[in-house]
Amino acid sequence: MVEKPDRYRVGEHPREAVEHEWEIFVREEERDPLRHVGSVSAPSADVAYEQATKLFAWYANDLWVCPARAVHRYTTDTLDDDAELVELGSGDEKRTHEP
Amino acid sequence: MISVSKLLCDLDAEGDGLRYDAADGSSKPQISRVKQRRPVVVWNLTKRCNLHCSHCYAAADTEVAPGELSTAEGKRLLDDLSDYGVPVVLFSGGEPLVRDDLFELIRYADDRGIRPVLSTNGTLITDESAERLRDAGLRYAGISVDGLPERNDEFRGKSGAFDAAVRGIRACLDAGLKTGLRYTITERNASDLRGVVELLRNEGVDRFCFYHLDYGGRGADITDLDLSPEAKRAAVKELCDLTRTYHRRGEEIETLLVGNYADAAYLIEYARRYIGSDAADRVHSYLRRNGGDPTGERVADVDYQGNVHLTQFWQGYSLGNVRDRPFSAIWDAESNPVLRRLRERTDHLTGRCADCRYQDICRGGSRLRALTVHDDLFAPDPQCYLRDEEIAPSSPPETSAD
Repeated sequence: MVEKPDRYRVGEHPREAVEHEWEIFVREEERDPLRHVGSVSAPSADVAYEQATKLFAWYANDLWVCPARAVHRYTTDTLDDDAELVELGSGDEKRTHEP
Repeated sequence: MISVSKLLCDLDAEGDGLRYDAADGSSKPQISRVKQRRPVVVWNLTKRCNLHCSHCYAAADTEVAPGELSTAEGKRLLDDLSDYGVPVVLFSGGEPLVRDDLFELIRYADDRGIRPVLSTNGTLITDESAERLRDAGLRYAGISVDGLPERNDEFRGKSGAFDAAVRGIRACLDAGLKTGLRYTITERNASDLRGVVELLRNEGVDRFCFYHLDYGGRGADITDLDLSPEAKRAAVKELCDLTRTYHRRGEEIETLLVGNYADAAYLIEYARRYIGSDAADRVHSYLRRNGGDPTGERVADVDYQGNVHLTQFWQGYSLGNVRDRPFSAIWDAESNPVLRRLRERTDHLTGRCADCRYQDICRGGSRLRALTVHDDLFAPDPQCYLRDEEIAPSSPPETSAD
């Protein structure tokens, strides 16, 4: 049985405590996909990169930082009060989910 | 967390099973019959606090910070933690008592089979709130005091904070709550250690936890206040001596050290020098079962916005957020290279940690301090105070631990 996932859009909650929050992505080898590996708190992208470098430079070829506020999160599993179910269109939806 | 009273004085405690896989030999009711497989989770319910402490790892403030997990979200988090098998949740902050739903969340955790414990500055605890905490199912209140009155108030940024904390301690004890001290040792307050223990012992406190300064939050701004390695060694020795003195006169206080696993090796050396080689072997055996620094393994942190951290002190890096992924999935995701490498850290430690004879019971100490000071996740902990002759991979020295 294959069915479409119920996926929710997580609310736009602040992720920034003292400084800005930056999502970190690393690519281990040249042909690997980028992988999300968490986030760091930093005042700027350059400082976020510096901090992420200390954690991942020994490991990753590439390292990307992205403002957490720019990331919209869609998930099948959330505890968020503000999460909204995103309705998928019916019919010929090809991307499916094995529950 | 290393129990000095257990290791040097054989004092049984509720954490014997959880910490040392020694429940069978303990005379106390146990938090867990077996050594923990899942982390103790610190949940910083809020960033708001009524004080402004100079060493606060959470960089708490008097203003409300946006994005706190709601009561309902918190309960869903506790559901996940319960299903995952988390044994203990430490409700912390900021100051957790500024949240009106603290009692409700404690009761919910207790109902879900999680042991709820509290970290608080104590200044907001009244007779009534202490009874409500007890009735909600709270098992332990750890109250922070960081020196004798004047020093504590300076550290906490508020005159009268010491007296207010002591009133909170009395209220908890009067309500029948197990209550203990939390004390972060720095250069400023190390000389107050003995006096604070004596003062609070007279109030009826019998559990004393001493934290080494970790370099997170505002703690990273006061690393110059950290004790030198020799001063740190002297402070730990004083705590060992003090614990044994109390026990010799029949006062079975529980004393613990947190945040620097050099303490584990030091306790073995101390036992060898002052108690005997059999005692040293017994201490070593307990500490092997304990397993060393718990970062990323036996302790986890969820901050007020739902970000998951490697420890409560390491707020600058988050593994993920519980609003978009369950805690259990985030914690199990060893595709994260930092998490995976931390869990196999003994393969990566460098410098004097690489061939230290106590590596199995210390596991490199604080990786956060190493990262902060050396910009290297696997460099030696700058606050390891063990001497070269003590950690050499040969037989132990004849004299040490002074």
